Amino acid sequence: MQPLRIALAQIAPRLGDLEANLARHHELIAAARDRGAGLVVFPELGLTGYQLQDLAADVAMRAEDPRLGELAEAARGLSAVVSFVEESPDHRLFIAAALLEDGAVRHVHRKVFLPTYGLFDERRFFAPGDVVRATPSGLGVGVGLAICEDFWHVSTPQLLAMDGAQLLINVSSSPGRDLASTNEVGLGTATSWRTLMRTYAQLTTSFVVFCNRVGVDESLSFWGGSEVIGPTGAAIFGAPMFEEGLYTADIDLGDVRRERITLPLLRDERPELVGREWERIVNGRAGLDEDNGQ
Amino acid sequence: MSADVTKVDAAAEPMFELPDELAIDTGVARRVIAEFIRGQLRQAGFERAVLGLSGGIDSALVAYLVAEAIGAERLLCVMMPYKTSSPASQGDAEAVVAALGCASELVEITAMVDGYFGDDGVPGEGGPDSLEATALRRGNFMARMRMATLYDRSVTWRGLVVGTGNKTESLIGYTTLFGDSACAFNPIGDLYKSQVRQLSAALGVPEVVIRKAPSADLWPGQTDETEAGFTYPVLDRMLYWRVDRRRGVDDMVEMGFDRALVERVDRMIAGAEFKRQVPPIAKLGPRTAGVDYLYPRRRPGSARP
Repeated sequence: MQPLRIALAQIAPRLGDLEANLARHHELIAAARDRGAGLVVFPELGLTGYQLQDLAADVAMRAEDPRLGELAEAARGLSAVVSFVEESPDHRLFIAAALLEDGAVRHVHRKVFLPTYGLFDERRFFAPGDVVRATPSGLGVGVGLAICEDFWHVSTPQLLAMDGAQLLINVSSSPGRDLASTNEVGLGTATSWRTLMRTYAQLTTSFVVFCNRVGVDESLSFWGGSEVIGPTGAAIFGAPMFEEGLYTADIDLGDVRRERITLPLLRDERPELVGREWERIVNGRAGLDEDNGQ
Repeated sequence: MSADVTKVDAAAEPMFELPDELAIDTGVARRVIAEFIRGQLRQAGFERAVLGLSGGIDSALVAYLVAEAIGAERLLCVMMPYKTSSPASQGDAEAVVAALGCASELVEITAMVDGYFGDDGVPGEGGPDSLEATALRRGNFMARMRMATLYDRSVTWRGLVVGTGNKTESLIGYTTLFGDSACAFNPIGDLYKSQVRQLSAALGVPEVVIRKAPSADLWPGQTDETEAGFTYPVLDRMLYWRVDRRRGVDDMVEMGFDRALVERVDRMIAGAEFKRQVPPIAKLGPRTAGVDYLYPRRRPGSARP
């Protein structure tokens, strides 16, 4: 047995109110510790709220910001994933998620895919990250961090799993839409996400942790429904939709080994083939293939 | 949780027609809307709400939704009839108030409107020709007097004005600019009329309100559907496929819609674009509201202390 209790902080951040959200994080990190969690996960932009627009620059923090250090200190003894607006030394703004361990920022993931269509306008306000990389963690397994839209690109979970992640963590601010009564849980967005999580968990034979916020920013309502999916693709825990709270789920990290022995999909992956074909496709799309002589 | 209005009683005549593709999960809708209402008020620093209750289904539904979200004791419904307004409408509005147990006020707008357009053969402040004003001018003026009243009551009641316009009328422009469309926030502005009916049934809005023919009640006997020339289920379906599902005109005709009607509705939508947007500001300075000065409406410091 490699038991792990995961705490999902399904919160409703206050838009633009960094201090209030920091206080809430401290409160819930303490609560997660009291409830015996080894990992506590907060949603995308849990420290700032989502619909920031021009407020993004006002709430941005450097990765070495002492306020993040204080959160890391408060989380000492457990692993915590928090999300914020990161300002790089050259003043680009990123939507970031940080893994906090041993009193320090251990790893930062910058959101790679910024939706700028439909109700989204992220690329106007943020720069995209350039790296998808798993990180070792104090949990004894590799961790892969991703942020919301990153998981609408199948390459993200695959790269993270191939890079050593056994626990894929997606933090989200997913706005609910499409209330058609034909949807499984009454919300089109939720139906799509639930399908993705189960599929990725099964195909990567990894745990998938999904932490989605609740509450309202302007017109947008966020639906919660955070989940933990096991490496067989079966749901282990589902938090209620729209309900703020700190929810815990117990998993056995040993399930990853059992599933990967049973179903050695990752063993049979062909990354060299995928890389070769990608290179060919990338060159072709750029007009650099041999046929046109460039 | 949500009543399926199409199956309540097979023998009884259904209260309304609900096209399949428009059916929503009313339980989820109630959750989302309740949290939306609470969020809007909290972020603005308000605890109460005020709305104009006409006796029609849209404002009745919003009253029920607000009462569900924050409690009826925090809601003020203002009834604002003109002298020609249907007495039945006011009876229906009173039934809603009684059912909810919320506060209500009656503010007659007759003197305000007649003071402008004139009365008894005597022209008003609107000038010598004001007696001949068209029904459209009068209707728009009435809607704006109601808006002015609501925003004044917003101060005395210390509550935000809640919008009661639906998606159908917004898309085709069946609204008065700075009149009934004016509000602090709108919980039902993304619901078609058919969906308003479905949600109203789920919330227990009085059946008589759900069943009666929708009317702007600007003159006796007026109904939306006779004025527009098509029924809400048809119009809602057209808007849904054309706007939400991005079907082209040819696609619509293939689906069985009348081409002339589709084209007419297209013109109504385009012609009403100005009613759905804030007015443009001439871009002159370095940062211009709505252009490159983009902030959330509610942010730290913006709540009323």
